[in-house]
Amino acid sequence: MTMLSSVAERLYWMGRYLERAEDSARLVAAYNHLIMDIPRAAELGWDVLVRILDAEPVFYQQYRVGNEQNVLRFLMAEEDSCASIPFAVRWARENVRTTRDVLPEETWEQINELHLYVSDAAEKSVGRRNRQAFLEEVISRCQRVNGMLSSSLPRDHAHRFLRLGHLLERSDMTTRLMDVGTGEILGRAGTHEATDPLIWTSLLQALSSFGAYRRMIGPLVEAQEVVEFVFQEPLLPRSVAFCLAEIRLELKPLKNHESAMRILNRGRRKLGKLQPEQMSREALHAYIDEFQALLADLHDAITASWFHPDTP
Amino acid sequence: MNESWKSYASGSFFDELITPQGQPRAAARGVVRLLQKLPGQEMAERRAAAELAIREMGISFTVYNEAGNIDRAWPFDIIPRVISARQWQAVSDGLRQRSLALNHFIQDIYNQQKILADGVVPADIVLESTNFKPQCMGMSPRFGVWAHICGSDLVRDGDGRFRVLEDNLRVPSGVSYMLENREITKRVLPELFENYSILPVDDYPSQLYQTLASLSPRERRRPCIVVLTPGIFNSAYFEHAYLAQGMGAELVEGRDLMVADDNCVYMRTVDGPVRVDVIYRRIDEDFMDPEAFRPESLLGVAGLMRAWKAGNVAIANAPGSGVADDKVIYAFVPEMIRYYLKQKPLLASVPTWLCMREKDREHVLKNLDQLVVKPANESGGYGIMVGPHSTAAVRRKFARLIEENPRNYVAQPTLALSTAPTYIDDTVEPRHLDLRPFILQGRDTWVTPGGLTRVALTKGSLVVNSSQGGGSKDTWIVEGKA
Repeated sequence: MTMLSSVAERLYWMGRYLERAEDSARLVAAYNHLIMDIPRAAELGWDVLVRILDAEPVFYQQYRVGNEQNVLRFLMAEEDSCASIPFAVRWARENVRTTRDVLPEETWEQINELHLYVSDAAEKSVGRRNRQAFLEEVISRCQRVNGMLSSSLPRDHAHRFLRLGHLLERSDMTTRLMDVGTGEILGRAGTHEATDPLIWTSLLQALSSFGAYRRMIGPLVEAQEVVEFVFQEPLLPRSVAFCLAEIRLELKPLKNHESAMRILNRGRRKLGKLQPEQMSREALHAYIDEFQALLADLHDAITASWFHPDTP
Repeated sequence: MNESWKSYASGSFFDELITPQGQPRAAARGVVRLLQKLPGQEMAERRAAAELAIREMGISFTVYNEAGNIDRAWPFDIIPRVISARQWQAVSDGLRQRSLALNHFIQDIYNQQKILADGVVPADIVLESTNFKPQCMGMSPRFGVWAHICGSDLVRDGDGRFRVLEDNLRVPSGVSYMLENREITKRVLPELFENYSILPVDDYPSQLYQTLASLSPRERRRPCIVVLTPGIFNSAYFEHAYLAQGMGAELVEGRDLMVADDNCVYMRTVDGPVRVDVIYRRIDEDFMDPEAFRPESLLGVAGLMRAWKAGNVAIANAPGSGVADDKVIYAFVPEMIRYYLKQKPLLASVPTWLCMREKDREHVLKNLDQLVVKPANESGGYGIMVGPHSTAAVRRKFARLIEENPRNYVAQPTLALSTAPTYIDDTVEPRHLDLRPFILQGRDTWVTPGGLTRVALTKGSLVVNSSQGGGSKDTWIVEGKA
């Protein structure tokens, strides 16, 4: 049973947006914790979040200052801002709406409920009091959809394209998050050695991987090891290595996968060459930038191979 | 008898369930008896259950207005309309005959044009119609059939006789609601089904599949069939998705298809191009192919006509079918039946005055307050004037329109449309209705048992269109006595 390119494309974006909604909620939640933990936290600034999501131009069209209220309103409550949680949820829903017939019956209902919840609660959750509960609810509702899909969707094209979107978005968000650790926060005034472990811990928490880190690596949280763990650990579902390996499995059975596969393999080789102990902070930041460009190429290759094959 | 039925009186109209003496008609006896015994409270509960089912099943249609498009829940009346199988058999034979004659006509018009040469139908009204597509000349689709899916609107007059009001041969819609109405009735009034033998309707998607499959230009066990929709913003999108799913066909938009150099149609899939055999077109032919029709259309597929004319793809309904879907042509259908089939028409139609004829026009202009005036070429109940319900200003406007463009207007007597008991607020009242059965024609011909009943929910209104405040009812064709 084959699948229309347009349907595959919508499923792929559904996978991306759902993952983006969850990861953005994780990112904000983790940062929220961090700010409370770090002395003189104010100096860190909230605009970091906008930078991680590459949304500075849009943000500064609307706001003059990157303070807590503005940044969180932008990320949590504005359905029209492309970096916000409601935006991601809305587009996940739109993509399900037109692919309902290839997804389990509950998908539409669940995603619809998620959308209703977010439109209802987002506005009043920008303030500190309701913020955490809102973010946790978004995360758990996203997980419910993913859990339902992974337990009932047949492993055909529908699953494959959904999963490609999900994995690519996850790799992208994970690398963005690591960029915070390397380039953004650690390089700034107001942080020092004593706070470094706190920052790395909160990053691991944003990835739901702190427990796994302690068991697999140890109780001491150190920069190099965190970077290695998050990029290269083959057993960790949120590591970049894990995502790329899974993407490979999904690409393999598809016809016409050569160009995507070539980029993917380039990524896997690049991942193997990462040696954080020999890299300066600037070098690591540059490395991550390159890696993100590679993920963007992979996205383009997927689009060109299966969604718009005859657009030159 | 519960309160809600006590004051029921159908007046001078033919009521389909209740005789003028207030007794249930034979075929409806079981339904009426049972509903009359339900306490009023329970009627309300059943209606609430139906509304809930409609929301849960996501049955909706789109209304266009200034505020944008709104998805409305489907308005449904829980009291079914009952017709005896014997009576229906005669209607069904008449529809079959009509559909055969209409298809002969279309085939003739795009080929020899014998009926025009013989003067049975005036050539100019056919050839000058906007529905006549010269691009289709010389085509001969499989089995000589052009209109594979026909939705004919029937009404019953004061004597209870069925008459054809019009034939929709372009992209008739509503069949999914017919199917859903039965589902809802099964849920909310299950006890009615115990003592009745009601002809099932849920066969439709498989009948449609077989009809479409029979058109495939390639002999294959499972031809590739697609449903071509204008997209999610179309008012009938729900139905397009419903039918695609029911047939296991792909639901496609124009951009999912392409016509290659070999003049074959392909759909774009993740495994590369896959050849399409049959297109069930739910998009107006004017928007179907920018190469052949409106060049500005973004909904269509460039080259579709080429592929169709080369015989590489079947399109249902075939482009050009609309030539027989015109209220002027309608007046000639009885002649067509005699001309092509050498038979007497089995189904009555409605007397029609053609404003293009001088004598007819005089009569129409003199009697505007008595007649229903219709544009020859609109659907959905738009642009109609119901004489007895009109104001002098509206009549003046129509008189002017008719004088300006007589070809575009026809008039018919205002019919005393039949009524059926309808549950309004907390009483049961008579409301006017019509019926849209669907006739499928490919290798074989098939007629839906019953069809979609539409009911004008406003008291005294004759307008049943869902876009204008109409609702619907489940329609039962019942065998034997109740």
